[in-house]
Amino acid sequence: MDRHIRWLLVTPAVLIVIALTIFPLGFSLWVSFVQYDFTLGPEHPWVGLDNFVENWKDPVWRASLWRTVWFSLSMVAIELVLGMLLALAMLRPFRGRRALMTLFVIPLFISPVVVGGFFDLFVRRPYGIANQLASWVWPGTVTIDFSNDSPWLYIVLIIADVWQWTPFMFIIILAGLAAIPDTLYEAADLDGAKPRQSFLFVTLPLVLPVVLIAVTFRLIDAAKLFDIIFSLTRGGPGTDTYTTSYYLYQQGFEFFHLGQGTAGAWMFMIMLTFVSYWLVRRLLKPLEEAA
Amino acid sequence: MSDEVFHDPNVPQEDYLSGLRLARRDFLLKSGLAAAAIAAAPTWLQSEQAAAAIKASTSVGAVRDPIAANAVAAAKKHSGFSMGRVNEAGPQALDDKNFSGPLWEKLTGIKTNLTEAPFAQIRTKIITENLAKSGALDSVEVSPAWIPDFADQGVILPIDALVRKNKAQATVADLHPLYRALARYKGKTWGFFDDGDVWALYYRKDIFANAKLKAAYKTKFKRDLRVPRSWDEFNQVAQFITDQMAPKVYGTGMGRALGNPGNQFYFFQQFRANGGRFFNPQTMKAEIANAIGVKTMNQILLQNKASPPGVEKLDFVSGWGLWLQGKTAMIMAWPPTGRISENISQRDKAFSFLPKSQIVGKVGYARVPGQNGEHAGAFIKCVMATSENQDAAYLYNQWATSPSISLQRVMLPYTLRDPYRISHYRSPAYKKLWKGADQYLVTLAEAANDAVLDLSMSGAGDYANALDRAMTSMYAGKDVKEALDEAAREWDSITRKLGVAKQRASYANFLKYPGATSKNTIRKLGQAIKV
Repeated sequence: MDRHIRWLLVTPAVLIVIALTIFPLGFSLWVSFVQYDFTLGPEHPWVGLDNFVENWKDPVWRASLWRTVWFSLSMVAIELVLGMLLALAMLRPFRGRRALMTLFVIPLFISPVVVGGFFDLFVRRPYGIANQLASWVWPGTVTIDFSNDSPWLYIVLIIADVWQWTPFMFIIILAGLAAIPDTLYEAADLDGAKPRQSFLFVTLPLVLPVVLIAVTFRLIDAAKLFDIIFSLTRGGPGTDTYTTSYYLYQQGFEFFHLGQGTAGAWMFMIMLTFVSYWLVRRLLKPLEEAA
Repeated sequence: MSDEVFHDPNVPQEDYLSGLRLARRDFLLKSGLAAAAIAAAPTWLQSEQAAAAIKASTSVGAVRDPIAANAVAAAKKHSGFSMGRVNEAGPQALDDKNFSGPLWEKLTGIKTNLTEAPFAQIRTKIITENLAKSGALDSVEVSPAWIPDFADQGVILPIDALVRKNKAQATVADLHPLYRALARYKGKTWGFFDDGDVWALYYRKDIFANAKLKAAYKTKFKRDLRVPRSWDEFNQVAQFITDQMAPKVYGTGMGRALGNPGNQFYFFQQFRANGGRFFNPQTMKAEIANAIGVKTMNQILLQNKASPPGVEKLDFVSGWGLWLQGKTAMIMAWPPTGRISENISQRDKAFSFLPKSQIVGKVGYARVPGQNGEHAGAFIKCVMATSENQDAAYLYNQWATSPSISLQRVMLPYTLRDPYRISHYRSPAYKKLWKGADQYLVTLAEAANDAVLDLSMSGAGDYANALDRAMTSMYAGKDVKEALDEAAREWDSITRKLGVAKQRASYANFLKYPGATSKNTIRKLGQAIKV
C-alpha cells in the first residue's frame, strides 16, 4: 500500500515534467527533422538533415556563430577582470562601502531589454548624449554614429553587457574572496610574501573554483545574448550584430521557418553542451584530484 | 523668410537638436498622461462622428448606409459574443478602443476583445494563433502583402459568399480602383480593404517660395527652384537646401532604421519608378542587383547625405518629429503626415507623442518624384479561418469598412486610417477639416492613381527583410553592388526554398495587380479617378 502511495505522490510531478520538458523537447526534435514552415504549407514531410544543412549553408548563421563566440569571450573576459578588481576593492570595510555595493548591483535587477533601450537612447543620434559627453573629453566636436558605425556599435554592445553583468562577477568573486581565511594571509606574511605574491599564490588559487563557476554561468548566458541586441540594434546594420540567438529567433518567430529554426537551436544547444561540459570538467578537476 | 534660413557656420551641426531633445522628453511624459486620460474618459459618445455613424447604421431614409445597417441588423443575433481582434498598437488600436469597438457593442451587443501588436508582429500573432488553432482571433488586420501566404495556408477565409449573402457587393464600387484589387487573390475576395496607405511628397511651401533661396538655386543650376519631379531632381534640391540652410533645416530626412518603417519600401518605390522589376518572370532570378538597382540605391544614399545626421538609425516617427518641428523641407511619407502637419491629430491626447506642428499652413502636397509613390503596408480587414464565430467577425468588418462608417473612421483625429474610398476623397466634411484639405485629398487620389504596390507574393516578408538588412548595411558603408548582390543571392535562396515553380506562379499573379510595376498603374490602365 505504502509503495502505491509513493508512486501516486510523485505522479503529478512526473506528469508535469513530461508535459513541460520532455514532450516539448521531443516535439522540437521531430520538428527539426520535418518540413515545418508556415510558407511551405501545413504538411510536414520528413526531410532528414535538410534543416540542419540549411542552417550550416547559410552564411548569416555561420557569421552569427563566430560573432557569438567572440562577443561572449570578450564580454566575459572584461567582466571577469572588472569584477575581480571591484571585489578586491570592496573586500575590506570602509566608509560608504554598503552604499557603493548597492549601487554596483543595481544593473543586475534591470531587464536586459531595458538596458538595450537605455543604451540605445544614450548613443543614438541625434537624441543621445554620447557624442556630447565624448566632446567634453576629446578635442573638437565628436559626431560618431555609435549605433551604426563599426567598430563602435560592437563596443557599445559590449559595454552594455559589461555594465549589466560585471556586478554578477563581482558578487560571486567577492563571496569567494571573503571565504579565504585570514590566517593564510598571516602565514604568507610571516613567510615574507609581498602583496603581489600573496595575491598570486594565495588568493588566486583559492578563489579560482569560484571564478570558474562564475565564468561558466556567464559564458553560457552570454552565448545566448539576445535581449540587448533586440532592443539596441535589431541585428543591424545589415546582419552585422546578429548573434546565434537573434538569428534563430528571426528564423523561428518572424519568418516561421520553424523546422530550420528548431534545427539551428539543437545545433547551438549541442555546441553549448560541449563548452559547458569542458568548463564543468575543469571545475570538478580540483575536487576529483583532492578525492 | 529672412537671411536666417542660411547656414551659420558657427553653429555646430548637431545643435539644432536641442528642440528634439525636448520633444523626446515631451513624448515620454505626455504618452503616460495620454494613456491614463484616454482610459479614463471615453468621450466618443458625444462626438459628432459617433452620432453620424449611429445614424448611418440605424436610420431609414437618405442618411442610412445600407451596407452598415444590414451588417448591424444581421449581427444582433450574435449579441453577447466577445470578438477577438488584433490591430496595430498605439493610435490604430484607438479606433477599436474609443470608436468602432464601443460603437459596435452599442449597436449589436458584440464586445471587442482587442490585442495590440506592432505592425510586423501582427503577422506573427496571426500566424501563431493559426498554428495553435486557438480561436482567439476573429477579425484581423492583414497587410495586402501577406494575403497570398495567408490565403494559401488557409489562415483567412474568402468572403465572397458572405458578401453576396449580406448584399454588400456595392461596397467595392466606391473603393479607389487600386484598392478594389488588393483584397483579391486567386479569383477570391479575402477581406475588406481599409487603409489607403499611399506615399506622397510633403513639402514646405514657404521654403520653396523663399526669394533668396530661389535666386541662389537659379544662379547655381540655371533653372527655377520647384517641387522635384524626378529622383535626381529631388536629390539635387534636397542637397541644395541642406547646403544653404542646415543645421536649421535639411533638404529631407526620413527614418531609415532597420525594420522601422522598413527600407524596402523606399527601394521598391524608386526601383520601379526607375524601370526595375524584381524577378525575371521566367527564371525567377532576382533582378534587384542590376544597374537599375545600383542606381536606385545610390539615389537613396544621396538622400541620406542631404538628411540630418543619424538618419540611418532614425525610426519613422522620429522622422515625423523632425518634419513637424520644421527641420526638414521635404519628406515622402504616409497620409497622416498631412493631418499631423496641420495639428489635426495632435488635438487628441493620443497623439501627444508627436510635437505640435510648427509648420501649420506651410505644407504643400504632391506625388512623389518619379510619380510612382509606394502603396506601403496598409490593412485589409479579414476573417480568421479558426474563428469560432466567422459570421460575427465578417459582419463587423463589413460594417466598419462601409462607406459611412469608414468615412468617420478616417476622419478621427486619433488613429492612422487614411482615405481610400472615392466618397472619402470627395467628402465635404473631410474637406472642412483644415484649409487645404481638399488639395490633400486630391493628391492622395492622384497618388493612388500612380501608385506601385509592395511586393505581394508568397515569401514577401522574407524578401523584404533581406532587402531591408542589405540597405542598412549600405548605409553603414558597405559597397552598394556587393550588398545588392548579397541580397539578390538571398532572394534566390528564398525562391529555391519556397519552390521556383510555385514562386513563378505567385509572382505572375502579383504582376497582374494594378501597380505591380510602373507600367501598369491605375492611370496607365485608364482607370484613374478624378476628384
